[in-house]
Amino acid sequence: MTDSTAVDTSAPGVSPDRNANGGAPRNSGGTTGAGKAPSKVGDIAFKGISTLAAWLIMAILAGVAIFLILKALPAITANWSQNSELNEGPTAGWANFWAYSGPLIFGTLWSSLLALLMGAPVAIGIALFISHYAPRRVAGVLGYLVDLLAAVPSIVFGLWGIFVLRDFLKPLNDFLNSTLGWFPLFAGTQQGDGSNVISGTGSTILAGAMVLAVMILPIITSISREIFLQTPALHEEAALALGATRWEMIRLAVLPYARSGIVSATLLGLGRALGETMAIAMIVSPGLLYSFKLLTDGENPQTIAANIAVNFPIAGDLQRDALIGTGLMLFVISFAVNFIARWIVARTAPDARRRTRSRKVKTA
Amino acid sequence: MLERQNTVKLTSIAQGAAVVAVAAIALTACSSNNNSSGGATSAATTTAPSVDYSSLSGTITAGGSSAQGNAEAAWITAFQAQAKGVTINYDKSQGSGGGVTNFLNGSYDFAGSDSPLKAEQTTQAATTCAPGGAIDLPIYLDGVALIYNVSGASKLNLSAATIAKIFNLQITDWSDPAITADNGGTALPAGPITTVARSDGSGTTQNFTNFLTGMAASDWPYPAANSWPVEGNVSKQQGGSAVASTVDSTAGAIGYVDHSATNGLKSAKVASVNGIAFTPEAAGASLTDGAVPAPNGVQGDLSLKFDYAKLQASKSAYPIPLVSYAILCTQFKNATQGKLTTAYLGFVASDAGQQVAAKNAGSAPLPAATLSDIQKSLALVK
Amino acid sequence: MTAATDARAGRTSMPNALKSGHLPRWTELWILLGSAVLVGLIFIPLNYNLAGGLIVMALLYLVAIGVISRVVENRRQAIDRIVRALVTIAFILAMIPLVSTLWTVIANGIGQMNWSFVSQTGGSVFNPETLEVTQEPGALQAIVGTLIITGIAAVISIPIGILTAVWLTEYSRPGHAVRRIITFLVDVMTGIPSIVAGLFAFSLFALIVGPKAFSGFSAAIALCVLMIPTVVRSSEEMIRLVPNELREASYALGVTKYHTIIKVVLRTAFAGLVTGVVLAVARVIGETAPIFIAASFTDNFNANPFEGPMQTLPVLAYTGYKFPTTNPEASLQSAWGAALLLVLLVIVFNLIARIVARYFAPKTRR
Repeated sequence: MTDSTAVDTSAPGVSPDRNANGGAPRNSGGTTGAGKAPSKVGDIAFKGISTLAAWLIMAILAGVAIFLILKALPAITANWSQNSELNEGPTAGWANFWAYSGPLIFGTLWSSLLALLMGAPVAIGIALFISHYAPRRVAGVLGYLVDLLAAVPSIVFGLWGIFVLRDFLKPLNDFLNSTLGWFPLFAGTQQGDGSNVISGTGSTILAGAMVLAVMILPIITSISREIFLQTPALHEEAALALGATRWEMIRLAVLPYARSGIVSATLLGLGRALGETMAIAMIVSPGLLYSFKLLTDGENPQTIAANIAVNFPIAGDLQRDALIGTGLMLFVISFAVNFIARWIVARTAPDARRRTRSRKVKTA
Repeated sequence: MLERQNTVKLTSIAQGAAVVAVAAIALTACSSNNNSSGGATSAATTTAPSVDYSSLSGTITAGGSSAQGNAEAAWITAFQAQAKGVTINYDKSQGSGGGVTNFLNGSYDFAGSDSPLKAEQTTQAATTCAPGGAIDLPIYLDGVALIYNVSGASKLNLSAATIAKIFNLQITDWSDPAITADNGGTALPAGPITTVARSDGSGTTQNFTNFLTGMAASDWPYPAANSWPVEGNVSKQQGGSAVASTVDSTAGAIGYVDHSATNGLKSAKVASVNGIAFTPEAAGASLTDGAVPAPNGVQGDLSLKFDYAKLQASKSAYPIPLVSYAILCTQFKNATQGKLTTAYLGFVASDAGQQVAAKNAGSAPLPAATLSDIQKSLALVK
Repeated sequence: MTAATDARAGRTSMPNALKSGHLPRWTELWILLGSAVLVGLIFIPLNYNLAGGLIVMALLYLVAIGVISRVVENRRQAIDRIVRALVTIAFILAMIPLVSTLWTVIANGIGQMNWSFVSQTGGSVFNPETLEVTQEPGALQAIVGTLIITGIAAVISIPIGILTAVWLTEYSRPGHAVRRIITFLVDVMTGIPSIVAGLFAFSLFALIVGPKAFSGFSAAIALCVLMIPTVVRSSEEMIRLVPNELREASYALGVTKYHTIIKVVLRTAFAGLVTGVVLAVARVIGETAPIFIAASFTDNFNANPFEGPMQTLPVLAYTGYKFPTTNPEASLQSAWGAALLLVLLVIVFNLIARIVARYFAPKTRR
């Protein structure tokens, strides 16, 4: 390379070489002045702002976590069987904090799992449809429509669930119970007189999970769609050139590239499902129990967030602390789920693949 | 600048007339242009303290029970129409528990609650209200209504024992002989019963379970509480309006709500209990016949307890009454806030105020004796 | 050549695509029509459920297209057609509830939409003669409250969130302690229930300001706590997706690091960043519980975020449903109207965001 002193910097459009010690060049893009000082200031300033932002976020989020732990501690350590406040109202009848939050944790996981099972495959299917199967012009409109639906607030879904979905599902509930009633998921509640009844009002956890699925669908679809669109066109065209069908091209070029992104999108959707308060509180008739039944009124496990929303107004001080404690359990769940997902991504990331095996590609 | 845009469309002349008119109503035994309520006792000796409303200015922050929420909204409008400089914010989303909590930590000037302060809360309030204490004033009288949705049954009467058995899932069909017997021998069409209750803790549940443990203890083995104790095939909904709309849309359902929430029901009807239907007179009779003072020790406190044996003995009292309180300190930290709050609550506990609530929120006006007791307690507040 | 390929075709299970048949162009459509007719013939006379009929039709179509394609073409083509059908079914399946929701909101809320609803504060009128209080529905205080509270929350969270994502992807080393802590906290906080965030904000303000700490700003802080994890997470993902080649090319040209980040990386990821931001804002604009706890409840107009309770559109909708006045019809109508306004607000915001994204993003996107 020529050394910097020989470069004719007076001519416009001449791309400068790096100077001898590899530092910032002169004339970079024409916006900074000559010399290293201003761009170094810019670098330092920007790095400083970014670091500051990161520390600020750490402080805020850590502050929230610490505040909640401190607030919940009195309830976690109290003697539940002897405390008069904890012995009445929503927290009555539980031996200790862990016995109380057990069914709630189960309810949260169960309803979110149902929502994810119903919603995630459909969401990824839609994202694939928009990015690879739909005609170009339609795809733009559809993408916009789905983004729009991500923005519908949860109160609207709650109202829709109450006024439309519950009544719509009643015939389905009857059908499932009458044909598949022997299966534990679809059984009804045993009554004192020996009869077996399912929900009369439709306030089942199936309805709640379905509304959750509809709510998380646009989130997962939006992000997945963005990620599918980012697949390098070269990879896709190479697959097609080798004679792959469209599905094989997606399987070979798009999905591996998008794997981490799909997991992230699913986790964001799951995060919303885990923390969703209003829709579940409005739609599902809750109970504090461990139950897998989908079609009843009286045996639906309650979720942590809905429990807090429903009981917060009537709760006394110590009971509020107990509710916040259950909120902390939600943190633990979120963390566990995210940890597992990140581990999956790290194990199956594209660079991980490069290190291990070579894929056998079937062509005609 | 804080801009209030409450659209009160009264001209300035009419405003003066409004103040005069309200004062006139409060001072005289005028009942002619009021409609069905008629429950106001004829001797309207309760006068609102003669406060000049137009000289008041400031903000009152309050919240709590949603049972008195509609009444509070009506009172606030009526009061703000006369006292232009006053803004009142009543948060009915907090619930009785949230209202009391916020009152005890100083955020509210007064709290609305469906039950008076418990002993330990009164002790806590002694710190918040130092050097005074907290008093509970009953300002709202209503009842818990039983609504049912059975096509073909336009009238229904149930006894306390049958109600307990139905809600305890012992009776599961509408054609059960116990129901037929209560209903004067008229059998209802057969069909499964779906009971609808509250999923959130509420004063309505507390009052309903008080009634069940008071009048049907042998059939209701649970202690009275503010959250629903029965497990099994119960459909629990969040909020009284959700219970009402669920019963309305589910054939064969029965549920309990504040009586003021029974407007707008399309297919559901209100049942009578022990032969007595809910009317303002019946509710007033519950208070006079069945309410027993349960003071908390602070001078001026008017907490009440219902003696269900007396209610059962009375032939005109509605068996499931509901009273909602305003809880405030006898000594305000800020004298202006004290003046504002007592002026407002003085209006609430006047004849005019009770008529406003009856007309617009569906409550029953409090008896005159109670109102004058409240005015006396308010006079003690500084 | 043909003899060799014939021999190979005999040995492997993969027939030569060039040699197998090909279904005519509109086959899929015909098979779909066929299954529809078949199902209709069975279900309509027996008066079965429409939804059940559609499900059976879809299953029938899948089986038919799979079998026919497998027989006429080959296995790979069959799988491709089945996947195409599945993806389309997924699309239709998802569109139904989403469109139904939008339709419910529009149909129920449109009756309330008039100029006075949008431009007037909700208020009530007292008639001193009849002692009647009549409600006048109005949403202006809620619209202003929504814009102020969400605006403050967005202005705080978005720059901080994106800058943090930049720090995480560009500046920090993978083992760095702060980076691990932030990643951990962000993961944990994505699931925080909104009511808990509201409680945190209210307590914080009660410490600073005193017991009567209800304010719009406090609600905005609660919303920040909800938004930040989503913004950081999605921005981090989008920035990570920017190909390294672009960065390396920029450095090779002598551009400084921060310039590279701003002009190349962020610009390339711009559309994705906008999507993440829109999702975060959309999630918090519809929150009710934190607003109740932190900004209390009021019907009055309040444009000062630092003092006094504020109302937002979702709170107005929720109150109309949960705490109706003695005229439940009117309250519910007002609730739907507020819900529709909220959806319209979000549509407008979405449009603006899309236009901004298209304007700033590099022109290479499909």
